[in-house]
Amino acid sequence: MDENHFLKPASTEERRLYYREEWNIEDIPDFIKNSVDKREFGFDHLGRGPNDRYRVFRSLDLLRKFLRYRTPFAAYSSVAFYEKPQRRDGWIKSEVVFDVDAKDIPLRKCNCEGVCDVCLNQAREIVCSLMDILKGDLGLNDIHVIYSGRGYHLRVLDESVMKVNSDVRGQIVKYIIGAEVPQSEYGSDGVTYKLEHFSLPFGYPQVFTERVKYAILHLTESTEMDGVNNKLLKDVIKYREFINNDEWGLFRGKVGPIRYQRLIKSIASLNMGWVDAKVSIDLKRILRLPSSLHSMVSMKCMEVNNLENFDPFQDAVPRFVYERK
Amino acid sequence: MVSVAFINPLSDEGRQIVREMGNLDLFREDNAKLIDLVIHTRLQDISEEFIPHNYVDLAVKRLEWYIRKKNDPNFNYNKYSFLFNYDITRFDVISFYLLCQAVGVKFGPNSRESRAMVESQGKLMQSRLSEFSRIDREDLIKKILDSLLSDEKVKWTFFEDILSSRKLKLEDLVMDHGDIILNREDFIESFSSKIEHRDPDKIYNMMIGDKVKELIMNRMIMQKTEDYIYKVQQKSKREIEPNPLLLELAEKVSTVLSESFPSYGHKVGGNGEIKAAPLNPNAFPPCVKLVLEGMKSGGRNDAIILFFTPFVSYARLYPDIFRKNVTVKVSDVDPNLSVVQNEILPLIYGAAEQCTPPLFDDQPQEKININAKLGFGMHAVVELKHEGESIWYTPMSCEKVKLHLPSLCKPDKTCKRIGNPLSYYIRKLWESDETNGNPEGNED
Ligand code: SF4
Ligand SMILES: [Zn+2]
Repeated sequence: MDENHFLKPASTEERRLYYREEWNIEDIPDFIKNSVDKREFGFDHLGRGPNDRYRVFRSLDLLRKFLRYRTPFAAYSSVAFYEKPQRRDGWIKSEVVFDVDAKDIPLRKCNCEGVCDVCLNQAREIVCSLMDILKGDLGLNDIHVIYSGRGYHLRVLDESVMKVNSDVRGQIVKYIIGAEVPQSEYGSDGVTYKLEHFSLPFGYPQVFTERVKYAILHLTESTEMDGVNNKLLKDVIKYREFINNDEWGLFRGKVGPIRYQRLIKSIASLNMGWVDAKVSIDLKRILRLPSSLHSMVSMKCMEVNNLENFDPFQDAVPRFVYERK
Repeated sequence: MVSVAFINPLSDEGRQIVREMGNLDLFREDNAKLIDLVIHTRLQDISEEFIPHNYVDLAVKRLEWYIRKKNDPNFNYNKYSFLFNYDITRFDVISFYLLCQAVGVKFGPNSRESRAMVESQGKLMQSRLSEFSRIDREDLIKKILDSLLSDEKVKWTFFEDILSSRKLKLEDLVMDHGDIILNREDFIESFSSKIEHRDPDKIYNMMIGDKVKELIMNRMIMQKTEDYIYKVQQKSKREIEPNPLLLELAEKVSTVLSESFPSYGHKVGGNGEIKAAPLNPNAFPPCVKLVLEGMKSGGRNDAIILFFTPFVSYARLYPDIFRKNVTVKVSDVDPNLSVVQNEILPLIYGAAEQCTPPLFDDQPQEKININAKLGFGMHAVVELKHEGESIWYTPMSCEKVKLHLPSLCKPDKTCKRIGNPLSYYIRKLWESDETNGNPEGNED
């Protein structure tokens, strides 16, 4: 079918079609269905932001009716569980969430205006690697990946972290995205040794190494980075084959240790862009409701069960898009 | 044999000592045993003025050591040698509890006094441990950690509170599926297959060895010290009168702390206080300078409303906020709001105008949010009658800036030494005062 039909805003009629004929309450993931009465819901009826907030539904069926008849432009639910969701009061716990928005990630391979299959795929790769760290390092389980329409939400419902405050959430974000250059001097018994992050294949140094590798391999001549001038950028690109082969020592030698230090410092701050940390540290955020329609781009927001093979242009396009003329 | 209480006064051994403590009033009387121990400490400078004569003296010295060491370039270690003599353990433990109680009843856990107490405990433990032989040190750390961590395997979430207070960073830990790797055996089991060309044993020694263990132990005890101060405060609220000895000690603690802030020119009052003065943009941190240069549409609102507004208002009106541990209203310091109207709002509006597109062009309602952040509720104009409907937002910490507005944080050298853009500003003012002798800006 014609490319042009994709990613266009949905008309009121199309929204109606979607919620009356395609949408099914069963498409809402269990982790939300089980806690409908504990969450705050928010809606955007006119496409001007979620102004209709503090909504609560005592039962799933009431939520079903609401969506069927109001066919909102956008629907959201809180990551927080409350005793009194109608007042955002009596906070119990919140999912730990990471928001990877394809249009905001650094080092995008495409130069598209909104989102496209290239940057969405890049976002998917990032989500995969974040997931590995959440599981492998932090030992978290019960992690759900949601395709949001323009990127991905990672939603962690592991009880061991749902009660932690924003400061701890901030630390988790910084760890998994590699926001700080790891220390490189280690003392043992009065002697100091120098060990670069790439010679330590575990723990935070490894997380950081992976991020630096990804960044270096995705730099282009036109990338702008603080503290990295054109000359350095050119050299990095010239020698990055070494990184591709995990020959870090050689790469560092070619670039020079001082410039290498400058490079990784700059990458560390660039890493802050992989996820929107504001979302992660906000205990009372509302996030797009899986199964609802992202009307701006006419895509379904949905839970992704097989991230490896997920293709939003196959799996998240509502039927009405195919019927467009 | 060294008692673990010498390092961890909150251990069972430490508590036992305190239980035998008896009448508080005896603590200000001269104690011959203590004096004797101090005088006979190796390398101790025995000039009269340095020698603690009783428990209260000792408590003061304990804190003074930390403050002086931190701020005095000519610090003389030999004045405080006795602090490293483990024969004083009994006295030391009791003085630790006295300090916590004094700080707890008078200032509570969120005060600068409490912060200094907690940090001094951290530094003291570290310095004391470094004086022991490796074997003794390992042994002490192991004993203390064993009692702090009941389980063999510890999940990182167990450290929620020390992570939250940033005493510990997640990056400092080595984890495998959520478990913190502390023992050599666990390390080898988890990672040896990944380590090539190097001896895993050596890597363990370097990266974890005693280092991480000591760090965790240290931070946990610091946290427990803070918790204890909190408990004391809670308890004291239910009691009628705190013991005068504790109040007396609290006074002394305050004096020791104020001493630590050298006076810098006219902005600093007699007790180290920094007075309000017209703003000196040269002293602004990089992040604030960036906002003044103008923001692009993403992050524009947050930068102006959440970040810039609190910063300039406090920098102008109440730069001392973080050292005072009080809640203030704008009108406490600017009674007729003339500074707000004539200096602060124009500056904020100017920064908003610099944005692309200018902030108020498409979102004039944000003016109301600015008023709200200054404490004047959601109203179109700043008026005294609305003050208090919202709170006057305190400036974001650097940590928060990095998370909320990552593009703003471009740290320079001074940033290494501060945790909040406002402290950056104050520091820079001091420095410029010192070097110029004659600062810009006049007394208000
Ligand atoms: S470290 Fe703090 S003061 Fe320095 S630029 Fe970053 S936020 Fe600003
Ligand atoms: Zn794209």
